Amino acid sequence: MHNTILKEISKIIIPFIQIFGLYVIFHGHLSPGGGFAGGTILGTSLILYRMVYERERTREKLSYKKLMTCMCGALIIYGILKGYSFITGGSHIDLPQLPLGKPGNILSGGYLLPLNMAVGIIVSVTVYFFFSLFYEGEI
Amino acid sequence: MQMFGIIILLFLIGASIAVSVIKDLLGAIIVFMVYSLLMAILWQQLNAPDLAITEAAVGAGITTLLFVLTLKKIRGENK
Repeated sequence: MHNTILKEISKIIIPFIQIFGLYVIFHGHLSPGGGFAGGTILGTSLILYRMVYERERTREKLSYKKLMTCMCGALIIYGILKGYSFITGGSHIDLPQLPLGKPGNILSGGYLLPLNMAVGIIVSVTVYFFFSLFYEGEI
Repeated sequence: MQMFGIIILLFLIGASIAVSVIKDLLGAIIVFMVYSLLMAILWQQLNAPDLAITEAAVGAGITTLLFVLTLKKIRGENK
């Protein structure tokens, strides 16, 4: 889409969408929201970028390899953290745990914050992949 | 708030009947998006803001986008 108005407006609005998505992810354990909702909002910003700028320019910034690396890394981190929490959680194994912190702070809640971040990355990349597969048949 | 919820519920029933009755596909998609937005407002009224955020992002945003893209594809238009 070669449209000047769309390009200028999207330059302004995409950072705000991403900041809102990050806010929803990072406050997932304090307020409504969480990994899935925030990741979807982040994914819509990627979709807007893909729709306004064409495929070539998007491929420079959001290449398939980079996105796939992010998603697989987040998936592995999620599996390791959640498996560790499952194994050491209820069976009286005295392995070191993440600190719980003070209630109300952002750095609190043990495993919730890193798990939310991993879920957010996975969901945003997956939503973007869905869109680009429907849009042009390739990523 | 009780009255507001009842009005939203009536609109919800109307929208869900209209989706299955309307013959025009694009119109049906738009009515479906309106259904999702009303559902998000109703979740918020039922004290479930978490679901409201998810419904507004997924139901009204992503699903409508995918439906419109699919409609464009099955009509055979090139962009």
